[in-house]
Amino acid sequence: MSLNMRQSAGFWKRTPAHTPSVVAAAFTGGGSDTPDDADSAFDIPRSLSAAAPAAAILPETKPEVSQAAASESQSEQADIPAERPHADPADPTETKFAQTLSSPHTDLTQLRKLSWKGIPPAHRATTWRILLGYAPLSLTRRPPTLQRKRKEYFDLRDQTFARGTAALDAKLWHQITIDVPRTAPDLPMFRLPLVQRSLERLLYCWAARHPASGYVQGINDLATPFYHVFLAEHPANALQDVVDDAEADGFWCLTRLLDSIHDNYTHAQPGIQRALVKMRSLVARIDSRLAEHLAAEGVEFLQFAFRWINCLLVREVSLQCCVRMWDTYLAEEDQGFARFHIYVCAALLLKWSKQLREMDFAQIMMFLQRPPSLAWENKDVEVLLAEAYMYKCLYDESPSHYAASDRP
Amino acid sequence: MSGNDEYDYLFKIVLIGDSGVGKSNLLSRFTRNEFNLESKSTIGVEFATRSIQVDAKTIKAQIWDTAGQERYRAITSAYYRGAVGALLVYDIAKHPTYENVTRWLKELRDHADSNIVIMLVGNKSDLRHLRAVPTDEAKQFAAENGLFFIETSALDSSNVEQSFQQILTEIYRIVSNKAIESSQDNVQPGSGAQIIVPSVDDHTKNAGGCC
Repeated sequence: MSLNMRQSAGFWKRTPAHTPSVVAAAFTGGGSDTPDDADSAFDIPRSLSAAAPAAAILPETKPEVSQAAASESQSEQADIPAERPHADPADPTETKFAQTLSSPHTDLTQLRKLSWKGIPPAHRATTWRILLGYAPLSLTRRPPTLQRKRKEYFDLRDQTFARGTAALDAKLWHQITIDVPRTAPDLPMFRLPLVQRSLERLLYCWAARHPASGYVQGINDLATPFYHVFLAEHPANALQDVVDDAEADGFWCLTRLLDSIHDNYTHAQPGIQRALVKMRSLVARIDSRLAEHLAAEGVEFLQFAFRWINCLLVREVSLQCCVRMWDTYLAEEDQGFARFHIYVCAALLLKWSKQLREMDFAQIMMFLQRPPSLAWENKDVEVLLAEAYMYKCLYDESPSHYAASDRP
Repeated sequence: MSGNDEYDYLFKIVLIGDSGVGKSNLLSRFTRNEFNLESKSTIGVEFATRSIQVDAKTIKAQIWDTAGQERYRAITSAYYRGAVGALLVYDIAKHPTYENVTRWLKELRDHADSNIVIMLVGNKSDLRHLRAVPTDEAKQFAAENGLFFIETSALDSSNVEQSFQQILTEIYRIVSNKAIESSQDNVQPGSGAQIIVPSVDDHTKNAGGCC
């Protein structure tokens, strides 16, 4: 790695053109109205594909579409619009989603039921918005509500950044700007300056509105599934035309997600501490031999599972698998991210019980820091979710497992 | 997996310092000879081990890399317990990370064993023309506070090996001297997570400030 590379990565120029009002002005106009010189205005090299179809950097949505888009991009035909993912009429699941989402008033129970088993990529963005309570169930109210909420975010953002980055909370802004470049660094989408600037603004706006926790490292990871899903919604459009709406939707959806687990990030992180206690007692009840082995080796749950709770397993599985996992979390009626997640973490650990019981302290730690789940596919995640569901059914109402005071 | 290897001594070392100073890369350079410019931020703590030879003895270092952000201090301070060495890292190109060294020392005083061997590490020494912390200033500060001092670059590898070697050797020296002094076998190789905590006199601790 050359010296220059480090410097260029660590000390970007932050031109005034990065200020959100300009971003909002350039992006909310949308579509073909975007000026041709938008790239230079944002100090983003064209080679970094701001103008390329969003699908080119999104591996998951409709594989055939994104692959086609990627190859078009490589053959310098990036301006040919990729086909927007749409429901496959032959697929009964997609049909059910299409029907549920297009009914005048979406049946939330039905949508949850469908979503638990995984949401088709073409319907994921809309479904996530509804399940998070961001978009309304009423079909006719949905577009104006989204428009109003996005504008509300853009106003908030303009206000926050009105006096430039020098007027921001320096400590907070510093932490965010050193974490954003190392957010999902293995994914091309998050290498794009356009997306990185967007993520910085989103995180700062969220943190500024939530002083009890502020920005805590790992919250940046939690924003990545939202970018992944919302940028995939219009893969044929140039990224710069969709990133603003994705940022606004991401902001509101992340806000709602974090509302359910806010005490994971307040002082001393009590939510995580409680989750770890629950996870440990759950593992002890299901697999006492494993629990005893971990204890005998001096392995504490805090040492390996802290990150699992703090980052909701974003670091333990691929982004595609994480998104699939979150489909189910969002479909869970009773706090998927706060409660069901603990069962998923326990199920994850129990998967490797046999191997772990043959390892010593150092081996266990090294194994769990880079778990085999990193190479998983969706089907593996689905088995995990099914196992977690089984444990939940067996133990959730068990009074000797969860003290009554643990119930929200 | 290297967990079953034989060793004479097991020393627990913690890596502390502000966010983004390169703690994780120092660890990966020392234990795996890897460097990643955009490595993900550390959440909570991460763990790695490596064994080195000193005086024909095998010393296994169990190294805990901690998250730099303040919010994590409540969690990470628990890891200071049982640590016999600490690498307190700052970025030579970012003066605020050096200014915070005093706060990190206080963290160690509050939570770690009073005899912990501390090495002040100025990382990113490859960024010569961006240097914000003069070597002499940091060296003097280290001497005044009884810390060892070294400048490293996890990027170009310079002094990384030496920094860990030096702190481990120093701990070994203290532990083995103490063993001879007290003429009792209190330095049995541990198993699992057992840690040998040296019990040294105050004058031994203040003998630092080399380089």
